[in-house]
Amino acid sequence: MSATIALLGQPNSGKSTLFNALTGLRQHVGNWPGKTVEKKEGTFTHKGDTYSVADLPGSYSMSANSDEEVITRDFIASGKADVVCILADSSQLERSLFMLADYAGLSAPCFLVLNMADVAKERGKKIDAKKIEQKLGIPVMLFSATDTKSYDAFYATLERALKEKSHINAAALEAEYQKIDGYQDIRQQISNCEIPGYTPMWLTVKTLEHDKVVTAKLKNALPDEIMTQIERQIKGSETAIAAGECKFKWIDSILNGAVTETKTKAALGRLDRIYTHKFWGKPAVVLTVLLGLLASFIPALPVMGVGSGVDALNAVIRSSMLGAGAPAFLTGLLCDVLIQSLSYVIKMLGFVFGVTLVFGLLEEIGVMARISYVFDNTMGKLGLQGKSVMPFLVSFGCTMGGAAGARVIDNWGQKVLTIALAWAVPCGAAWAIIPMLSTVFFGAGAPLVIVALLLVMLLHMWITAKIFGRKLVKAEDKFGMIMELPPYHKPKWGALMRYVFGRTKDTFFRVVKVVLLVCGIFWLLSYGGSTGENSILEKFGLAIEPVTKFFGMPWQLFLAFIASSVGKEGAVGVITALYSGGSIGTAFSEAMAGGARAANLNELLLANVSRPEALAFIFAITFNLPCVVALAATYQEIHSVKWTAKIALYYTVSALLLGCIAYHAGLLIW
Amino acid sequence: MNLGELKENTEAVVSGISGDARFISRITSIGLTPGCRVQIIKNDRNRPVLLYSRDTMIAVNRKECAGITVSEVRK
Repeated sequence: MSATIALLGQPNSGKSTLFNALTGLRQHVGNWPGKTVEKKEGTFTHKGDTYSVADLPGSYSMSANSDEEVITRDFIASGKADVVCILADSSQLERSLFMLADYAGLSAPCFLVLNMADVAKERGKKIDAKKIEQKLGIPVMLFSATDTKSYDAFYATLERALKEKSHINAAALEAEYQKIDGYQDIRQQISNCEIPGYTPMWLTVKTLEHDKVVTAKLKNALPDEIMTQIERQIKGSETAIAAGECKFKWIDSILNGAVTETKTKAALGRLDRIYTHKFWGKPAVVLTVLLGLLASFIPALPVMGVGSGVDALNAVIRSSMLGAGAPAFLTGLLCDVLIQSLSYVIKMLGFVFGVTLVFGLLEEIGVMARISYVFDNTMGKLGLQGKSVMPFLVSFGCTMGGAAGARVIDNWGQKVLTIALAWAVPCGAAWAIIPMLSTVFFGAGAPLVIVALLLVMLLHMWITAKIFGRKLVKAEDKFGMIMELPPYHKPKWGALMRYVFGRTKDTFFRVVKVVLLVCGIFWLLSYGGSTGENSILEKFGLAIEPVTKFFGMPWQLFLAFIASSVGKEGAVGVITALYSGGSIGTAFSEAMAGGARAANLNELLLANVSRPEALAFIFAITFNLPCVVALAATYQEIHSVKWTAKIALYYTVSALLLGCIAYHAGLLIW
Repeated sequence: MNLGELKENTEAVVSGISGDARFISRITSIGLTPGCRVQIIKNDRNRPVLLYSRDTMIAVNRKECAGITVSEVRK
């Protein structure tokens, strides 16, 4: 036997934890066809049967307010799921059963999982699941996704739900709806209008709630005069508000007699008093993210060590191949492209692993919601959620980590915009070379250059948000925050680790492909052959030098700029090689491997590069696209070739422009 | 008065909600409906209002607060 189950629940209902715990590494993340919404599917076997699980996108209700909600609804109505598992938070049942009330009237069979039973118990709530089950007419169970022992009961309930295929008993709910003015009329009007997957009751309520998709469907199916009559009846927002009240009245009647509680007074915990403090909140959040960044190096270091091991191996292979008389081209292809890219990716991947783990943990225990709250206003000005501050801060360390961190943002457009802005944040590699270059050329003026870079960064982010925001963040997503601050949860380590390993593995394969491709092309273009003639890249640089000169870059600097889009570390190596007559190809690959800088770098630079040119170069490489791995990670997160290319092109062009401005400003000064 | 005008540590009852269908759907799905009781936990300038209702800590943006009218409950 095989069956498909769909997981449905509001944010913080523990849906992802359950999904990860059930499917482990056997999950697949992609996109819903034709949509920019992430599609998460997985499988698991139990007693020899295979189950597929669809983790339906995050939504608050069954309305059609966002792509996520429409997809969720269509999936359920399509009948693809044999049973829908609805999750609710036991510690706040009254509110979190709203999804169930909104679901009532859809024709897919379902069962109810009252998650976080442990938290409810701690808060002094006693819940009688059997009583709730009797009233609802579907299987109901108490559950703690973090408790391994409760999974046996889950499987048993799932099997029962698949056998019974029962529906929510909505008679009492409809009795409430009938009290709304116009409900009976509309219900009668549309009783002949069948839309598969939905009951007339559900369609009537969505009509009362001004649901755009349902209204459009009815318009197609009903004669015009009936539709105008319906529209007259639902004028104003009273019917929609009344429908909401009905749902909560029904929930109250379900819970009545099934839940006993000792009233506790609401108060903020000690940690929340700090996070929500009007003055200390922001510093506390920034400190949390920075500590998280530091902490993510702990799991990252062993992986980075493996990367360095590959480097050492690379040197051995190279020398033995050359010693054995292997052709230079072949050695180059193997060592400079294949092994070099691999070591580069592995080093970066360590960081992605660390960031995914640490920030996944912060998300799971509930800290991310506090971050959202504190930075809601600031980030709202850029059209983003408060959470976006986290990828920005992480990007000071590594843009790839920032991109990986952006996955906690649940809206696709805002996620893309966040990553696009995070690219403007100078990463660790930039911080390794920019102060050095600034000091060489500007001495005591170097701090001024750094300050100017940071100011330009803020301006850059603001302008970029304006340019990309219009397309990416729809007006309706600019909706201000209406969000739950969930109680802090204990993490489920097993599920979290499996999720982190899964994501890191996915990232690895996708990133390796892109990095190999880009590094391969770059290597070929910069390959000078065995005779030592100029490579294609050098010829190209020389040919367009008249143009790049206007941007403040002689051909050597321009090629270094191009190399910096593969990796910023490479830029300095390329400069050294070109000004000392070496080959760009090997210089680049050595620089990427963390090879030593030439001892006479300072003299080389000062002898060949003027101050305005240096300023142009510093601005151009700082704001160039961060590196090929960040590019690949961006693609991995946003699943869109078009947008990845758009952002990359935008950064290349704007970096040259900024360099140009810096150069001409420099000419005025010196 | 609207939700944003309540002082910290006061209690109130939601008396009305106004806005477009999307707003009403969002605010209902988080549990704020006419007649429900809210307790204001935090109300700082430049921050969303933090309130407690139906056993849930909820943050509501200040602009959105304008669409939620309340009447204060004297303790």
